[in-house]
Amino acid sequence: MRELSLNVMDVAQNSVRANAQLVTIKVEESEKNHSLSISIQDDGCGMTEEQLQQVIDPFFTTRTTRKVGLGVPLFKMSAEQTGGDFEIKSEVGKGTLTKASYVTDHMDMTPLGDINSTMSILIRCNPDIDFVFIHSTDNGSFTLDTRELREVLQGVSLDTPDVVEWINEFLEEQTRLIYGGANN
Amino acid sequence: MNVKEFVQKLNLKVLTEGDMEREIKDCYIGDLLSWVMGRAPEDSAWLTVMGNINSIAVATLADVSCIVLTENASLDDDARKKAEMHDVTILSTEENSYNVAVKLSNLI
Repeated sequence: MRELSLNVMDVAQNSVRANAQLVTIKVEESEKNHSLSISIQDDGCGMTEEQLQQVIDPFFTTRTTRKVGLGVPLFKMSAEQTGGDFEIKSEVGKGTLTKASYVTDHMDMTPLGDINSTMSILIRCNPDIDFVFIHSTDNGSFTLDTRELREVLQGVSLDTPDVVEWINEFLEEQTRLIYGGANN
Repeated sequence: MNVKEFVQKLNLKVLTEGDMEREIKDCYIGDLLSWVMGRAPEDSAWLTVMGNINSIAVATLADVSCIVLTENASLDDDARKKAEMHDVTILSTEENSYNVAVKLSNLI
């Protein structure tokens, strides 16, 4: 993928298809350590050991429209081609954790891209699922937790235009703060 | 022109053999697999330096006639096995993608 945020979107959609109620997405960046790690954890239906082996095989897919599923294999490749790591753990009935770690000063590093848009779209398109988004850099971190938003909103749906706008502004403002203001 | 004739005319090395009688009608160059996946035309020769297992999946999905690993780019063992299993033809050359494409354009 041209941006890692697209990989996040893809894996998070797998969580949605696995009937997750809560999806936690963590993006941890450190310029000092030349590192980036992205994890996506869900409480969906999970996978058996056998399915887990199949999911990193590009010739496996649960979809019936084609015989190839490249979401996870390409995410894995994006991490490994920078000298980073990739792991995926799953338990039936408990959920799945997918984690990719990158060496960010490698020539083959794919840019993170517009992760805020990814989060905004995920929340807007899946208003019945809860998302926790944690983004950290050397300067600090912030958290967006839709369970907290729901408490304040008292029944107003997360895909309401005013709410979406608030989420977008919150993400933008917080991102500016953890990037030290200089990059935006 | 079919794959067999393409191999002979450009003096390519055959790494895995699929359907060598298959026609080559087009050509596509690209290394970003997710990009190539939706864009490489069917029945084309796909020129790339990516010789991993995901490339084989992309070749299957895009239904290209063959993969050409240019500049002697290496082919992983896993990828070779999958290519044999799925009848994907993989060719190899020391020339770069541009030169191969130029020669190919005179033949199709």
